[in-house]
Amino acid sequence: MIDHSLAISPAAAVVFHLKQGFWLYVWPMMIGFVTIIGYQTLSRISMMGTTKWPVVFGLGSLVSMMSLFGWMLMVRSAPMIPFYGCGFGLASAMMSRVYAVTMPVHPRLKLRIIRVIWRGDKQGIQRLQQALRARV
Amino acid sequence: MALQAQGPVPRAAPELKIVEASGRTTMLSSYRGRVVLLAFISTQCVHCQRASGVFEQLAHEFGGRLQVAVVAFNEGGNAADFSRRFGLTFPVGMSTDETAHDFLGIGHGMRLGTPQVVVIDRSGVIRAQSERLGSPILQTHDYMLGLLKAVAR
Repeated sequence: MIDHSLAISPAAAVVFHLKQGFWLYVWPMMIGFVTIIGYQTLSRISMMGTTKWPVVFGLGSLVSMMSLFGWMLMVRSAPMIPFYGCGFGLASAMMSRVYAVTMPVHPRLKLRIIRVIWRGDKQGIQRLQQALRARV
Repeated sequence: MALQAQGPVPRAAPELKIVEASGRTTMLSSYRGRVVLLAFISTQCVHCQRASGVFEQLAHEFGGRLQVAVVAFNEGGNAADFSRRFGLTFPVGMSTDETAHDFLGIGHGMRLGTPQVVVIDRSGVIRAQSERLGSPILQTHDYMLGLLKAVAR
Protein backbone atom coordinates (compact mmCIF):
# COMPACT_ATOMS: atom_id res chain seq x y z
CA MET A 1 0.00 0.00 0.00
CA ILE A 2 1.50 3.24 -1.12
CA ASP A 3 0.25 6.74 -0.48
CA HIS A 4 -1.19 7.72 -3.86
CA SER A 5 -0.27 11.36 -3.36
CA LEU A 6 3.41 10.41 -3.79
CA ALA A 7 4.83 11.17 -7.24
CA ILE A 8 6.95 8.11 -8.02
CA SER A 9 8.48 7.51 -11.44
CA PRO A 10 6.65 4.53 -12.99
CA ALA A 11 9.80 3.25 -14.75
CA ALA A 12 11.04 1.16 -11.80
CA ALA A 13 7.57 -0.33 -11.26
CA VAL A 14 7.25 -1.20 -14.95
CA VAL A 15 10.67 -2.88 -14.97
CA PHE A 16 9.76 -4.76 -11.78
CA HIS A 17 6.46 -6.02 -13.22
CA LEU A 18 8.11 -7.00 -16.51
CA LYS A 19 10.79 -8.97 -14.65
CA GLN A 20 8.18 -10.57 -12.39
CA GLY A 21 6.04 -11.44 -15.42
CA PHE A 22 9.02 -13.08 -17.09
CA TRP A 23 10.02 -15.18 -14.06
CA LEU A 24 6.46 -16.14 -13.12
CA TYR A 25 4.93 -16.81 -16.54
CA VAL A 26 7.50 -16.94 -19.35
CA TRP A 27 10.32 -18.76 -17.55
CA PRO A 28 8.27 -21.86 -16.50
CA MET A 29 6.86 -21.98 -20.04
CA MET A 30 10.39 -21.94 -21.45
CA ILE A 31 11.50 -24.70 -19.06
CA GLY A 32 8.52 -26.89 -20.02
CA PHE A 33 9.16 -26.20 -23.69
CA VAL A 34 12.88 -26.96 -23.57
CA THR A 35 12.27 -30.11 -21.49
CA ILE A 36 9.96 -31.69 -24.05
CA ILE A 37 12.09 -30.56 -26.97
CA GLY A 38 15.03 -32.17 -25.22
CA TYR A 39 13.26 -35.47 -24.50
CA GLN A 40 11.88 -35.77 -28.01
CA THR A 41 15.20 -34.86 -29.60
CA LEU A 42 16.93 -37.39 -27.34
CA SER A 43 14.52 -40.17 -28.22
CA ARG A 44 14.75 -39.46 -31.95
CA ILE A 45 18.54 -39.19 -31.94
CA SER A 46 19.01 -42.29 -29.80
CA MET A 47 16.56 -44.32 -31.93
CA MET A 48 18.50 -43.50 -35.08
CA GLY A 49 21.06 -45.95 -33.76
CA THR A 50 23.91 -44.22 -35.53
CA THR A 51 24.82 -41.62 -32.93
CA LYS A 52 27.83 -42.27 -30.71
CA TRP A 53 26.93 -43.30 -27.17
CA PRO A 54 28.70 -40.37 -25.43
CA VAL A 55 26.45 -37.96 -27.34
CA VAL A 56 23.32 -39.87 -26.29
CA PHE A 57 24.63 -40.08 -22.72
CA GLY A 58 25.42 -36.36 -22.55
CA LEU A 59 22.13 -35.31 -24.08
CA GLY A 60 20.18 -37.70 -21.85
CA SER A 61 21.88 -36.35 -18.74
CA LEU A 62 21.27 -32.75 -19.73
CA VAL A 63 17.61 -33.32 -20.53
CA SER A 64 17.00 -35.17 -17.29
CA MET A 65 18.65 -32.33 -15.35
CA MET A 66 16.47 -29.81 -17.15
CA SER A 67 13.37 -31.82 -16.35
CA LEU A 68 14.26 -32.09 -12.66
CA PHE A 69 15.06 -28.39 -12.55
CA GLY A 70 11.54 -27.74 -13.86
CA TRP A 71 10.06 -29.99 -11.20
CA MET A 72 12.04 -28.20 -8.51
CA LEU A 73 10.66 -24.86 -9.74
CA MET A 74 7.10 -26.19 -9.68
CA VAL A 75 7.51 -27.49 -6.14
CA ARG A 76 8.65 -24.05 -5.03
CA SER A 77 5.91 -22.19 -6.81
CA ALA A 78 2.72 -24.10 -7.64
CA PRO A 79 1.13 -21.20 -9.62
CA MET A 80 3.81 -21.82 -12.27
CA ILE A 81 2.39 -25.27 -13.06
CA PRO A 82 -0.11 -24.19 -15.78
CA PHE A 83 2.62 -22.21 -17.56
CA TYR A 84 5.05 -25.13 -17.38
CA GLY A 85 2.24 -27.26 -18.80
CA CYS A 86 1.63 -24.76 -21.61
CA GLY A 87 5.29 -24.83 -22.61
CA PHE A 88 5.23 -28.63 -22.46
CA GLY A 89 2.09 -28.77 -24.64
CA LEU A 90 3.43 -26.23 -27.11
CA ALA A 91 6.65 -28.19 -27.57
CA SER A 92 4.72 -31.46 -27.94
CA ALA A 93 2.53 -29.88 -30.64
CA MET A 94 5.58 -28.52 -32.41
CA MET A 95 7.48 -31.80 -32.21
CA SER A 96 4.46 -33.69 -33.59
CA ARG A 97 5.16 -31.81 -36.84
CA VAL A 98 8.77 -33.01 -36.89
CA TYR A 99 9.52 -36.06 -39.06
CA ALA A 100 13.07 -36.64 -37.85
CA VAL A 101 16.01 -34.99 -36.17
CA THR A 102 19.39 -35.78 -37.71
CA MET A 103 22.92 -34.75 -36.90
CA PRO A 104 24.78 -34.45 -40.19
CA VAL A 105 28.40 -33.27 -40.28
CA HIS A 106 28.63 -29.66 -41.44
CA PRO A 107 30.67 -29.62 -44.69
CA ARG A 108 32.82 -26.62 -43.75
CA LEU A 109 32.83 -26.62 -39.94
CA LYS A 110 33.29 -30.41 -39.75
CA LEU A 111 31.01 -30.43 -36.73
CA ARG A 112 27.82 -32.39 -36.13
CA ILE A 113 24.85 -30.04 -36.16
CA ILE A 114 21.23 -30.76 -35.30
CA ARG A 115 19.01 -30.73 -38.40
CA VAL A 116 15.23 -30.92 -38.17
CA ILE A 117 13.22 -32.51 -40.98
CA TRP A 118 9.61 -31.30 -40.86
CA ARG A 119 6.66 -33.46 -41.93
CA GLY A 120 5.89 -30.97 -44.70
CA ASP A 121 9.42 -31.22 -46.13
CA LYS A 122 8.78 -33.96 -48.72
CA GLN A 123 12.22 -33.64 -50.32
CA GLY A 124 13.99 -33.77 -46.96
CA ILE A 125 12.05 -36.91 -46.00
CA GLN A 126 12.87 -38.51 -49.36
CA ARG A 127 16.56 -37.68 -48.97
CA LEU A 128 16.61 -39.13 -45.45
CA GLN A 129 14.87 -42.32 -46.56
CA GLN A 130 17.32 -42.72 -49.46
CA ALA A 131 20.25 -42.20 -47.10
CA LEU A 132 18.88 -44.80 -44.67
CA ARG A 133 18.23 -47.28 -47.50
CA ALA A 134 21.75 -46.76 -48.80
CA ARG A 135 23.10 -47.49 -45.32
CA VAL A 136 21.18 -50.80 -45.15
CA MET B 1 -18.38 -3.26 11.21
CA ALA B 2 -16.07 -3.77 8.25
CA LEU B 3 -13.03 -5.90 8.95
CA GLN B 4 -9.83 -3.95 8.33
CA ALA B 5 -7.14 -6.25 6.90
CA GLN B 6 -4.37 -3.82 7.85
CA GLY B 7 -3.84 -0.24 8.87
CA PRO B 8 -4.57 2.39 6.20
CA VAL B 9 -1.88 4.41 4.42
CA PRO B 10 -1.18 7.25 5.11
CA ARG B 11 -1.53 7.16 8.88
CA ALA B 12 0.52 8.31 11.85
CA ALA B 13 3.20 5.78 12.77
CA PRO B 14 2.62 4.27 16.19
CA GLU B 15 5.43 4.45 18.71
CA LEU B 16 7.84 1.53 18.61
CA LYS B 17 10.70 0.59 20.87
CA ILE B 18 13.63 -0.86 18.93
CA VAL B 19 15.65 -3.00 21.29
CA GLU B 20 18.97 -4.16 19.88
CA ALA B 21 20.85 -7.26 21.00
CA SER B 22 23.36 -5.03 22.81
CA GLY B 23 20.52 -3.74 24.98
CA ARG B 24 20.52 -0.35 23.29
CA THR B 25 16.98 0.95 23.00
CA THR B 26 15.79 3.51 20.48
CA MET B 27 12.31 4.94 20.18
CA LEU B 28 11.01 5.23 16.63
CA SER B 29 9.86 8.78 17.37
CA SER B 30 13.51 9.77 17.90
CA TYR B 31 14.00 9.39 14.15
CA ARG B 32 11.50 12.20 13.49
CA GLY B 33 12.93 14.65 10.95
CA ARG B 34 14.41 11.88 8.80
CA VAL B 35 12.75 9.51 6.37
CA VAL B 36 12.56 6.08 8.02
CA LEU B 37 12.71 2.74 6.28
CA LEU B 38 11.52 0.21 8.82
CA ALA B 39 11.16 -3.48 8.14
CA PHE B 40 9.76 -6.28 10.23
CA ILE B 41 11.68 -9.41 9.35
CA SER B 42 12.30 -13.00 10.19
CA THR B 43 16.01 -13.70 10.55
CA GLN B 44 15.54 -17.05 8.77
CA CYS B 45 13.64 -15.64 5.78
CA VAL B 46 15.75 -15.54 2.62
CA HIS B 47 13.80 -12.58 1.22
CA CYS B 48 14.48 -10.64 4.43
CA GLN B 49 18.16 -11.41 4.18
CA ARG B 50 18.28 -10.23 0.57
CA ALA B 51 16.14 -7.16 1.31
CA SER B 52 18.40 -6.21 4.23
CA GLY B 53 21.26 -5.96 1.76
CA VAL B 54 19.16 -3.66 -0.42
CA PHE B 55 18.28 -1.52 2.63
CA GLU B 56 21.95 -1.29 3.57
CA GLN B 57 22.76 -0.04 0.07
CA LEU B 58 19.93 2.52 0.25
CA ALA B 59 21.13 3.70 3.65
CA HIS B 60 24.55 4.43 2.13
CA GLU B 61 23.07 6.15 -0.91
CA PHE B 62 20.85 8.45 1.13
CA GLY B 63 23.41 9.15 3.82
CA GLY B 64 22.02 10.94 6.85
CA ARG B 65 18.67 11.71 5.21
CA LEU B 66 17.45 8.14 5.65
CA GLN B 67 17.23 6.08 8.81
CA VAL B 68 16.96 2.36 8.25
CA ALA B 69 15.98 -0.03 11.02
CA VAL B 70 14.85 -3.61 10.95
CA VAL B 71 13.03 -5.47 13.66
CA ALA B 72 13.14 -9.27 13.81
CA PHE B 73 10.00 -10.77 15.29
CA ASN B 74 10.57 -14.47 14.77
CA GLU B 75 10.92 -16.62 17.87
CA GLY B 76 14.53 -17.45 18.65
CA GLY B 77 15.85 -14.99 16.07
CA ASN B 78 19.30 -13.64 16.80
CA ALA B 79 19.50 -9.97 15.79
CA ALA B 80 23.22 -9.61 16.53
CA ASP B 81 24.11 -12.66 14.47
CA PHE B 82 21.86 -11.48 11.61
CA SER B 83 23.46 -8.06 11.63
CA ARG B 84 26.97 -9.50 11.67
CA ARG B 85 26.31 -12.13 8.99
CA PHE B 86 24.97 -9.62 6.51
CA GLY B 87 27.26 -6.74 7.45
CA LEU B 88 24.45 -4.36 8.43
CA THR B 89 25.32 -0.99 9.86
CA PHE B 90 21.79 0.08 10.81
CA PRO B 91 19.96 -0.94 14.03
CA VAL B 92 18.59 -4.47 14.07
CA GLY B 93 16.13 -4.91 16.91
CA MET B 94 14.00 -7.70 18.30
CA SER B 95 10.33 -7.67 19.09
CA THR B 96 7.38 -9.93 19.47
CA ASP B 97 4.85 -11.11 16.92
CA GLU B 98 2.14 -9.07 18.68
CA THR B 99 4.19 -5.86 18.51
CA ALA B 100 4.70 -6.31 14.76
CA HIS B 101 0.99 -6.97 14.19
CA ASP B 102 0.01 -3.95 16.31
CA PHE B 103 2.42 -1.63 14.50
CA LEU B 104 1.25 -2.80 11.08
CA GLY B 105 -2.40 -2.54 12.08
CA ILE B 106 -2.99 -6.22 11.40
CA GLY B 107 -5.07 -8.44 13.66
CA HIS B 108 -3.19 -10.81 15.97
CA GLY B 109 -2.86 -14.31 14.64
CA MET B 110 -3.07 -13.29 10.99
CA ARG B 111 -0.21 -14.61 8.90
CA LEU B 112 2.35 -12.04 7.76
CA GLY B 113 4.55 -12.28 4.69
CA THR B 114 8.05 -11.07 5.48
CA PRO B 115 9.68 -8.66 5.16
CA GLN B 116 6.99 -6.17 6.08
CA VAL B 117 8.40 -2.89 4.82
CA VAL B 118 7.20 0.46 6.11
CA VAL B 119 8.28 3.90 4.88
CA ILE B 120 7.70 6.76 7.27
CA ASP B 121 8.12 10.41 6.27
CA ARG B 122 9.90 13.12 8.21
CA SER B 123 6.77 14.03 10.15
CA GLY B 124 6.17 10.48 11.33
CA VAL B 125 3.45 9.50 8.86
CA ILE B 126 3.46 6.04 7.25
CA ARG B 127 3.49 6.66 3.49
CA ALA B 128 4.01 3.10 2.28
CA GLN B 129 3.54 -0.31 3.79
CA SER B 130 3.76 -3.88 2.46
CA GLU B 131 0.59 -5.81 1.84
CA ARG B 132 -0.15 -8.29 4.62
CA LEU B 133 1.34 -11.21 2.67
CA GLY B 134 4.29 -9.15 1.47
CA SER B 135 5.08 -6.80 -1.39
CA PRO B 136 8.15 -7.88 -3.39
CA ILE B 137 8.30 -4.51 -5.12
CA LEU B 138 9.15 -2.89 -1.77
CA GLN B 139 12.24 -5.09 -1.61
CA THR B 140 13.75 -3.90 -4.88
CA HIS B 141 16.45 -1.29 -4.94
CA ASP B 142 15.27 0.76 -7.92
CA TYR B 143 11.66 1.07 -6.83
CA MET B 144 12.59 1.85 -3.23
CA LEU B 145 15.02 4.50 -4.44
CA GLY B 146 12.21 6.27 -6.31
CA LEU B 147 9.80 5.84 -3.42
CA LEU B 148 12.21 7.17 -0.83
CA LYS B 149 13.09 10.13 -3.04
CA ALA B 150 9.40 10.93 -3.39
CA VAL B 151 8.87 10.67 0.37
CA ALA B 152 11.95 12.80 1.07
CA ARG B 153 10.78 15.56 -1.30
